Amino acid sequence: MEKKQKHLFSKVLLGCTAVFFYAPILYIILFSFNSSRSLTKFAGFSLRWYEKMLSDSTMMQAVAYTIIIALLATLISTVVGTLTAIGLSKSRRLMRGIVEQVNNLPILNPEIVTGIGLLMFFSALGVKKGFLTLLLAHVMFCIPYVILSVTPKLRSLDPNLADAALDLGATPIQALWKVIVPQIRPGIISGALIAFTMSFDDFIISYFVTGNGVNNISILVYTMSKRVNPSINALSTLVILLITAVLFIVNIIPILKDKKGRKLT
Amino acid sequence: MKKLIALALGTAVLLSGCGGSADSDAAEKYGSATLKLYNWGEYVGENLISDFEQEFGVKVIMEYFDSNEMMYTKLQAGDAYDVLIPSDYMIERLISEDMLQTLDLSNIPNISNLAEGVKQLPYDPDNTYSVPYFWGNVGIVYNHNNVDPADVEKQGYNLLLDTDYKGKLYVYDSERDSFMMALKALGYSMNTQSESEIEEAYNWLLQMNDTMDPAYVTDEVIDGMINGNKDIAVVYSGDATTILAENEDMSFFLPAEGTNLWSDAMVVPANAENPLLAHEFINYVLTHDASYDNSETVGYSSSNQEVLDEMSGADGIYAQNEAYLPRTEYAKDEVFEDNPVLKQKLAELWIKVKASH
Repeated sequence: MEKKQKHLFSKVLLGCTAVFFYAPILYIILFSFNSSRSLTKFAGFSLRWYEKMLSDSTMMQAVAYTIIIALLATLISTVVGTLTAIGLSKSRRLMRGIVEQVNNLPILNPEIVTGIGLLMFFSALGVKKGFLTLLLAHVMFCIPYVILSVTPKLRSLDPNLADAALDLGATPIQALWKVIVPQIRPGIISGALIAFTMSFDDFIISYFVTGNGVNNISILVYTMSKRVNPSINALSTLVILLITAVLFIVNIIPILKDKKGRKLT
Repeated sequence: MKKLIALALGTAVLLSGCGGSADSDAAEKYGSATLKLYNWGEYVGENLISDFEQEFGVKVIMEYFDSNEMMYTKLQAGDAYDVLIPSDYMIERLISEDMLQTLDLSNIPNISNLAEGVKQLPYDPDNTYSVPYFWGNVGIVYNHNNVDPADVEKQGYNLLLDTDYKGKLYVYDSERDSFMMALKALGYSMNTQSESEIEEAYNWLLQMNDTMDPAYVTDEVIDGMINGNKDIAVVYSGDATTILAENEDMSFFLPAEGTNLWSDAMVVPANAENPLLAHEFINYVLTHDASYDNSETVGYSSSNQEVLDEMSGADGIYAQNEAYLPRTEYAKDEVFEDNPVLKQKLAELWIKVKASH
């Protein structure tokens, strides 16, 4: 009896959490089909905000920039971060300690400070603000997260693995790619995912380092100060669908592969 | 966050670099075929930009800000734009810091279209630096089914202290606008620097906070009033226009004690790369069609007299909308002056008001 009650309680708790997580998302999806301008009152079904979103070139451009920047920043920061972490795991304790502390700084630093700092840095150098400065800034604040998530995996790695691989005739690059990377893959993937989300929804730093008409989705939404344009509901719905699709594919491919592999043997 | 930015501003002032160079495919007439416009988000007519691009064969690069202070920070860092659209007090500051170019009014012939009410504003009386884009007042929106119009007219801003309406009001969460209504309710200038007057206004706001149970909001006030969630709100006339258009139970009133007359105006920063095209753009916005498009999309009052008359006239889209046409020539209405020290002080007091209970 007691066990059953506990079971019920945890189910209710799970239910509440799910509602809390997903109700706002469902709300946005519902209101993206609203026929009136209101953000709180549903007047009827219509696709007018989707139409408006697709015909709004600024908005579509912002989506494109957001996705391209997020993908590039993830790729670059994951490669650089992983290599740094591997390099650090082989270096002296003092060096490692210093670099790890330095690495934590950007994470603890308030975003506004980083943003203004980068703004002044780029201005002092006379760099033309835009795509490149935005990408560099995103790479900059993504790398620490990758290092942070890869390092623990490296600690639990047998330090002799690389030597063994080299002894058995692997080139250093082969040893890295075929032995070390597969072992720390979960750390790399979680680092990449964090980097992607950080980049995708960053506003403060992006706002200060961008220029020349390069806007991302966050800048567009935050600066809708005079009037919230309901097209952002349509846009959010699109992004949610996109992310759901990506997660679905990421999760389903290994299962399919697994099945195929089993059939062959 | 706004406060943090204000703090960071101080440091930002230290440095100013140079912006990038202009586009290479220069149009012969203007020197370059791109115009960099820095504007509030969602603050331009649906077709204005594309029409301008087509008519003049140029490309407009748009960037957005959500507060004057944010725009100021980027400008301080040396970012180059051709046209900015800041508010009155910020223009005053930019002028005093030599960050704006004087306009060549011979290149802006449409300046003759300017509405009477936006001429000779105190921060730039001769349009030496700026040309108004949108303008308006701040006033009280109320539900005339639940609030007696006689009360509104009699009490003005003191309506916000009338306990009959406890729990039924929205208050805009901004030190500037809150102190404006408190000072006006008390019969003082909203640009006052007198310690005792500010102290009185502070007590007025404290009383409102403690006895009226107000809901502090920002832009969600528009949706809230359209849905009739509360009965009273102090809002910008442009937002009131939208509220009245969507909910016919709402009325708009400008208190007899006076209120804020504001204007967002187009300016050309000193480091603009394409000032010629900037003048062309300013001139274009003042045309009837462009200004009509602007005012129709955003709902704020046009700076073009003809458009203003047409929209508020018998056949206009805002014919029955008492919020659309701003009040002019009213001695007690004032424009905000730039005073960063005072603003900081009011910000601190405003936090104290909201924290009390």
